Formats: sequence, structure tokens, C-alpha cells
Amino acid sequence: MDKKICTYICTGCGIGEALDIEELSGVVTGEMSQECKTHAALCGTEGRAFLENEKSAEGINTFVICACSPRVMQSQFDMGEDTITVRGNLREQVVWIAGDAEEGQEDSHKEWLQETASDYIRMSCTRASKTELPEAFEMESVNKDILVMGGGIAGMTAAIEASKAGSKVTIIEKAESLGGKANGWAKQFPTSYPYAELEDNSISAMIADVEADGNITVKTATEVARIGGAPGAFMVTLKDTGVKSEWDAPAKVGVDEQDLIDKGEMEDPNAGLQPYGVANEAAETFGAVVLATGWVPADVTEYEHLGYGSNDKVVTNAEFEAMAKQGKLDGINKVAFVMSPGAEENDEDFPYANSVTSMVALKQAKYVRENNADAHAYILYQHMRTPGNMELFYKGVQQDDGIFMTKATVTSVEGGIVHAKDTLLGEDIDLDVDLVVLAAGMVPTTRDADTINLAYRQGPAFLDLDLFDGYADSHFICFPYETRRTGIYACGGVRKAMNMQETMDDATGAALKAIQCIESSDRGVAVHPRSGDKTYPEFFMQRCTQCKRCTEECPFGALDDDEKGTPLPNPSRCRRCGTCMGACPERIIGFKDYNIDLIGSMIKAIEVPEDDDDKLRILIFACENDAYPALDMAGMRKHKLNHMIRFIPVRCLGSVNMSWIRDALSAGLDGAMLLGCKYGDDYQCHFVKGSEIANTRMANIGDTLSTLGLEPERVRSESVAITDYDKVADLVNDFVDEIVELGANPFKGF
Amino acid sequence: MDVQPDLDFIRYLKTAGGDTMKKCYQCATCSVVCPLSSEDNPFPRQEMIWSGWGMKDKLVADPNVFLCHQCGDCTAYCPRGAKPGDVLGAIRAYAYTALGWPTGLAKLASSAKGLPMLIAIPTVIIFVLWAISGGMLIPGAEDFKVYGYQRFFGHWDFHWLAKNVAFIDAFMLAAFGLAIVASYKGVTTMWAKMCEREGVNTDFKPSMVQMARDFVWPAVVEIVQHSRFRECGTNRNRETGHKPLMYAFGGLFIVTAWSAIANDVLGLWIPSLHGPMSVWNPVKILANVSAVAMIVGIGILWVNRSKSEAEDNITPTFYDWFLIWEIMAVAVTGLLAEIFRWAGLAAPGYIIYFIHLVTVMMLFMYMPYTKFAHLIYRTTAMTFERFRESSFVKNPLDK
Repeated sequence: MDKKICTYICTGCGIGEALDIEELSGVVTGEMSQECKTHAALCGTEGRAFLENEKSAEGINTFVICACSPRVMQSQFDMGEDTITVRGNLREQVVWIAGDAEEGQEDSHKEWLQETASDYIRMSCTRASKTELPEAFEMESVNKDILVMGGGIAGMTAAIEASKAGSKVTIIEKAESLGGKANGWAKQFPTSYPYAELEDNSISAMIADVEADGNITVKTATEVARIGGAPGAFMVTLKDTGVKSEWDAPAKVGVDEQDLIDKGEMEDPNAGLQPYGVANEAAETFGAVVLATGWVPADVTEYEHLGYGSNDKVVTNAEFEAMAKQGKLDGINKVAFVMSPGAEENDEDFPYANSVTSMVALKQAKYVRENNADAHAYILYQHMRTPGNMELFYKGVQQDDGIFMTKATVTSVEGGIVHAKDTLLGEDIDLDVDLVVLAAGMVPTTRDADTINLAYRQGPAFLDLDLFDGYADSHFICFPYETRRTGIYACGGVRKAMNMQETMDDATGAALKAIQCIESSDRGVAVHPRSGDKTYPEFFMQRCTQCKRCTEECPFGALDDDEKGTPLPNPSRCRRCGTCMGACPERIIGFKDYNIDLIGSMIKAIEVPEDDDDKLRILIFACENDAYPALDMAGMRKHKLNHMIRFIPVRCLGSVNMSWIRDALSAGLDGAMLLGCKYGDDYQCHFVKGSEIANTRMANIGDTLSTLGLEPERVRSESVAITDYDKVADLVNDFVDEIVELGANPFKGF
Repeated sequence: MDVQPDLDFIRYLKTAGGDTMKKCYQCATCSVVCPLSSEDNPFPRQEMIWSGWGMKDKLVADPNVFLCHQCGDCTAYCPRGAKPGDVLGAIRAYAYTALGWPTGLAKLASSAKGLPMLIAIPTVIIFVLWAISGGMLIPGAEDFKVYGYQRFFGHWDFHWLAKNVAFIDAFMLAAFGLAIVASYKGVTTMWAKMCEREGVNTDFKPSMVQMARDFVWPAVVEIVQHSRFRECGTNRNRETGHKPLMYAFGGLFIVTAWSAIANDVLGLWIPSLHGPMSVWNPVKILANVSAVAMIVGIGILWVNRSKSEAEDNITPTFYDWFLIWEIMAVAVTGLLAEIFRWAGLAAPGYIIYFIHLVTVMMLFMYMPYTKFAHLIYRTTAMTFERFRESSFVKNPLDK
């Protein structure tokens, strides 16, 4: 594209009053040698007409809008597919955040403000000249069919919903027939108002729906051997349940392990298996995968005081359900349902239990009562959880004359006697019962097996953050269904213990995400979370040294490699975070509108005054997802920020290449900070690992700086949440104060 | 504690006004608003779960159940509509039956099913006695004017005991005596159970005088003053009905006592004390004022209860309504009988008077088993409430 660039400075929202616009225009037309025009309100109808006229009459195709934050007015400044828009944030992060002049500093304040604005103008113009128009990545062919793993409620619902939306679906089920766990239910929870009575099991109706659906292919007694490829072109090898296949997904073997294997010092875990990179010609192709492999009943033998395994009067809820289904409840007239292992330590429920196990106890208490009008059912709980309309179910069960509930700590079960303390009855109780039912939890199949069996460089399973107890990684707070493998969406019991209705809602969501993924892959744009982003990382392979950092660090396993270790990108797996770009020591990875040179040039565009301690320059790379909006909000609230700070937005801290820090310090800037999302146990990073990786890199660069004779304190990595807008100003101002304390960068002027 | 829920007890409570009890989910909002609740004694939260679990033995000996006078705050604030106030009423109804003697009669008085029999028993007894007495004759206008109902059961010339008095005493004293015995048995059983439940050391016992002076009398004073009613929030207006009603009973007790003395004792020497009293006789004035107060009081309670039921704040029960109907019947028939006497209408007067005798006998005879039993059991509980705080139960040296 032949770029025709023009800068437009908006003078509305207080920008015109605070800044000398003429001088700013001079920066554009002078040092930057670009055209510049001003307007009183670019976002208004008149402003839009003005810009459209610029496009049609003047042939401008690269618009530099120096006005408000890029987070607002996006549609107003979208000038069309064939144009580039670069935004300079003069409003929130220059004018609004500068605050009022301190007493006696009115003149300098105005000067400082003008300098800040000029730098943002310079950076914006530089960005515009370095940005290229992105072209979507086109796959050779996109398969739009969906593979659903698991034929239970979740899988069947996902299939039905995807079919309704017009997709072709294949369900694979490892058992002989569809239905999953629901086949074993005597009755099911109520599904409609008044949510009071148990309903007959409806799974056979759902199975019939699936079997009658022309869009759905069902393969029972079948498992996935491996899944290779990428969204839009997953290559799935299927096999009969339980058999071994040369196409089973290979375990990840690192460089060091491979060394040992080659020397014969370690057994090859993948002996007899095809390498992950080999494509199976016989594989079936799918566009996206829904993982609905569900759960298995938890083992409760570890709770010796409850006697499971040694006392034949103690069974699990799953076993009791089977007894009810088989009509074996005769003679069982007093049953105690134990919801929490109790003992002395804590009040936690059994592991992997949640509201579902509460509701199952209510349901099974009903079985006892429906079998015999004089029966007693005791529910001993620490937590009774019946969310949503299930509260009505709880209320209904409560009404039953023979169902007795109390919060209690069960201390032991001896024969048919349940001992409990801390009860609502005011004293310790002993219950003489015929049967004790333990509310065992629902363990996700992903805890103990790879389940998804990917033939990816990063291994066959989801990368486990060790945060989610083996539930399908990862539970983004804001993004259900997403896993760390693009195109694979988890639903049902692998995500959380759910009841039937929750599972159906969940599966519907996952099915729609799968369709969205396929459509995005077809258009060559990012699915999530940068939905619709046309750019993708491009590699200049001639200079690649096969260091494998990009393939290792990609949080989403988007990069495979060949035997030599050269990365093989899979753009449809990619989320466009740029972590590979930040990792690459050769700086050969970049996006059309975001790359090493572009940001590096922006850094160099910042004017660095010499010999003036009032005019130090501190660079802050702010993550676009949370830190940057937090700064905008701080600006809106007029939280005053030091005038020496310059912000550059980045896609993710993971994309920050340490060469930028070196560029900044060698250009004479006095400090640099990374401002991104929280990482760790309650991480908020939209790309899971970005801010954590950045933090590690920054720790390493600190060492490098000290060898250069620079204080490592000049660089820092900080995390903020989007809600920290009232703290972020203090956070960065404190950093500025520390830099001022250190004094100017000794490299200034070289 | 070995827990053995009694499903029949649960079913009974549900029919006696406690149908909402299982809605309780133990949030203890009721205990927060209840003036009877204390830190160690989350009343009525704990009573609610005992009810739901069918633990009748815990409840029958629970003084708090009887100290509750259904102010209605718990029911008003209950977030689940469990109506603890009504449940406690049902528990009391159950307790009166459980403590009642003889058991058969107590059971009979516990539900609407027994109502025909409850009415039939006194009706038949009085009718038969009336027939035997030979007094079953409508008197002439002149006789009616002079004697009123004094010769309802006829007349004989035996100076020391009037025939009418002999017959009335025959069934009224019998009914009253039965009530006294039943009350004594009920109260002593209850007291023993409460002592056992509270873990009272029976080695230390107050003398009768101490008991009366230190525990019973203050309880009675409090009852008469209605001070506890004034702690009520939601149902506070019940005091305006209960107070005149109770005073009316007091007044009529005095009148009855005076009549008995005047007729049966003093009348032996002063024959003019026999026969209807003048309207301006102070005793008669007290009687009439009390009768009006009784109608007003029970009328207010009647209206309040109907209103609460219409607003679904309380559950209608036989237990509550039986007493209201009965007191109303006693008061109305008594007053009507007097009016007919003034009007000289002997025939309707005699019929009404007959009904009056039946209702009064019912009031006496069924007192220990119906809601009227609160008279004795609540007084007992209020006495126990003081007793358990005294140094007979609590060692004052323990802190």
C-alpha cells in the first residue's frame, strides 16, 4: 500500500485550551515531515464528514488521530478496511492526567505539558509511518465440522446446538452407547417451575434427538488417539476404545531428555509412536473440538473414620444412585447422607464436590422417602448449596416430614451409628441408620489423563497451571469454555461439577465458541481475546537460530517445530499476544502493526532533553488489557501524573522484547517500567503467562544493566488490576521519584 | 444424644398450625428479634429444628415454649415464612394434650373431630340431671320474676341446701374438681420435666411459702400487669383484648365466689340473699361490667385473629378458635339469660340458661386440655423462669 499520511489534532475536550496547537502542528510538519490538520471535534458528525472527505478528496489512507484514548471512539475513527488509523492519546494521558500546575510552576507546567504532547505526536507519527496494512492469514482450506469428545449430556447438547446452528458434528463416545453418567440416574432434578418434584430421567429423549439429527454422526466405542493440526484443520486420529495405536499422542520430550534418550540413558516414552509432527494421512479433519469427557466418581477411601471400604453400611452417592436405579432400596428405612468428611480439621466438603453433590443428597433423600412413607433420611451438611431455581427444590425437599437436615461435623461412623457434633440441635447426636451415603465428588477426567491427546510440541495435555485441581485448564475469570489450546472448548464436568441444566447451558456456550473459532479461522482473524485482529506474527526465518524460546514460551502452544527446531507457526492457534516476539533474541518476529522496529522507533522518537533534572524521561510499557485502561480511568478522574512519564501501549507484557529496554536506556531515557496484569495464583493476564514471563525477563535484564554500570533499579515490572485506577498514579509517581533520586541516566547524550 | 424423630409428632404439629415449620432453614432471625432469646438459648431457632426433627420430649419440657405468648415478631421477620410463632402454638397444643389427664379426654379436646363429643358430654349430663331434678318446667311469669333461674332445677324445702345449688354443684364441682386434679397432675409433671431438663438439683427445695412468695406471686403480678405483652412488636394490639378479658374473668370469679357464699352460707340465715340481685347491687354491677368486658375482650381477639389470618400472618387452628368460641358463648349466653329475665321471657330464658350451663361446664372441664390451659402452664413456666434463676438452681458462687 502506498501510504498517504496525515495527522489530525482534535482541539476538543480541553486539548485546545491546554496545549499550543500551532506549535504541535509544527512538530508534525517540521521534524516529522508529515501533513497536519486540526479540528474542533473530530468525533462529531462534522468531524467524521471532514475525515471522510480527507479520504475521498485528498486520498489520505493513513490517519493519525491525536485526540482521545484509542479505547474510545473506535467506530468514529474506523476509516475502513483499506486504511490505517493510529491514535495519539492527547486527552486522557496528556491533558487530563497532567493536573493543575503547582504554585509557582505555572510556566514550567505549560512547557512540560507541551513537551509531553509533542512526544506523543512524534510517537504517533512514527507509528503511522512504520505501520503496514494487515492482511488476514488465509488457510489453504478450512474444515467447518466440529468434533465433540464425549457422548454424555454435555457432548450431546453441544452437538445438538452446533447442529441447530448448521454445523456438521461428530460425537465420539468411548462407551458402547451414548448417555454417559446420566444413564445411571434413577430420577433427575426438577427442570421447571415449581422445581419441587423429581423428574423421570430424560436422557433417552436426548439420545433419540441426537440419533435422529442428520447433522450428527455418532461413533461409540471410539476414542481419540491424537489431535494434530490447528483450528480450521485439526487432524484427528480415532481408534477403538482401549486399544494402543502408533498414533497415540506422544509425550513431550524436552531437549535434555532427548539427549539422554539418544545416549541410551533414558527409556523413550514414545517408543513405537509416531512423532508428534508426522501427519496421519488417514486422520479425519475437523474445524474445532468440544471437550466434554466429563467426570468420574471420586475415591473416598482415605477418610478412615467414615469407614468406606471397611464398613458395608457405608456407600458413595454414586453407588446409592445405582441401588435406587436397580430398585434395591427395600429394607433401607433410615439413611444418613454425609456431605462433608468432617472430623476435626475443617468444614470442607468432599473434594470435587459442590452444589451438585448437595442437590444429589436432596434427590437421594427423596428416593428413601418415596420408597417408604415412614422412612427417615438425614442430611448432615457443612454447606448446603442449591443455586438459582434449585433453591425451590431445596425448599420442596425441606417440606418432607421424614427428611431431617442439620449442619454437622461427622466425627465417625461405627457400624450403623453416625456420630456428629456441632449440630444445630444444640448437642452432639448419634444416628442409628441402615445405610450411610457419602457425598463423593466428581473428578474431572482431565485430572488423571491427557484426555485431549494433542500432537503438539508442548505436549498432549493442557498445560496445567496447578491452580485448578485438574479441571480443564484454564478457567479464565472472564472467559469460560476457553482452554489454553485455541479451537478446543471445554464444557460440563471437565470444567466444574455441574448439574444437568448447568451442563446444557455450558455445552451450548462451548458449541457456539467452536463455531466462532471456525468462522474466525476461515476469515484469518484472531478468535480470542483479540477477536477480529487480522495481524499475526510473521517470522523472518533466515535469521532464526533455532533457540526454541518462542516455541517454549508461547502460552498457547501455537508453535510446533521441525527436526532442526525451526518454529512452525500455526496462525489459527495463535492469539496474537506477541509473547514470541518478546521472547525472540534475534528480533525476527513481528506483526504488521506491532513489531520490534516499530516500537523501537517510537522510543527513539521521544525527545530526551540533556542536563535538565526537571526533564528526565521515564518510559512505561502499559498492557493494553488492564493497565492502559486503568491509566485512562486515572486520567478521567484527574489523578495527577508526573510530567516526565511517557506511555507506550503493548499487547501484553509478554510481547515486550528486552531490546526495547536497552534501546530506551541507551537513548538516554532515565528509567523504564512494565505495567501489566497480575500473575500468580489469582492471575489476570489475558494471555495467561505474559506478565509472568515479562517479570522473569526483567529480572534477567537487571543483571545485564549492572554489568553496564547502570543501576538495576532503573527498570521495574509492576502489576495492576483494571480496578486499580486510583492506585496506579501513585505507583508510577513513586517510581519517578526513585528515578529522580538516582539522577539522570549517565548514558544521556552519547 | 440418640435421635429418634417421631413422624407422628411432626404430622400432628402440621395439622395443629405448624404446617410451615419445615420451611425453617435455621438462619436465627427469629432468635434475633425474640425477647426471650439469649446467647446460650437461641429461642425459637432451636425449637424450630427440634420440631422439624420430631423431638417431642425436648419440647414438652421446654419452659420457653410456654413463656412465648406469640407476640408474632418471629413470624413477621421470618424470611422463609416458617411462622415460628404458630409452630410454638402447635407445640403448646401438643403439650397440653401430652400433659393432660385423663389421656382420652385430653386427646378428645385436641382436634375439631372431637368437637361434637365435647359438646355432647356436658349437654347430656346437664339434660339428664335437669330431667331427674323434675325442674324441667317453664315457670310462670310471676315465679320467673321472683326467682329468675334460681329454681331451674326445681325447689325443695330442705333448708340447708337449696335443690338448685345441689344440682349445679353436682356437675360443676365435679367438672371443676376434674380440672383441678388434671391441672395438678399436668403442672407437677411439667415441673418435674423442666427440672430434669434444666438439671436442677432437687436437694434444694423452697418451702411452700417461699415458692408462693418468691416465684408464683411475682409471676402472677406480671401476668396481671400484662407487662410482657408490652414487649410485643407485631401483635401488640392483643393486649387490648387480653387485658379486659382477663379482668373480666377476675371479676366473674369474685361474683361467683360471692354468689356461692351468699347463697349457700349467708343465705341460710338471711333468706333475702336468695333470688336475683338488683341491677344496682354492686356485685351485680361488677358481674355485668365483667360480662361486657368479656365480650369486648374476646371480640377484639376474635377480630385480630381473623385479620391476621386474612393477611396470612397466622394459621387458623381449632386450638385457637375453640377457646375464642367458647368464651364468647359463655359471655353471650350469660348476658342473654339475664336480658330474658328482665324481659320476663321465661321459655327462651330457660333454653339460653341451659346452654349457658353447658358452656360454663365445658370451660371448666376442658380447661387443662385446650388453649385455656395456658392459664396454668404458662403461669407454671413463668414461675419456673424465676425459679431457675434463683439460688435454688444456680449456685450464686459460680460465676
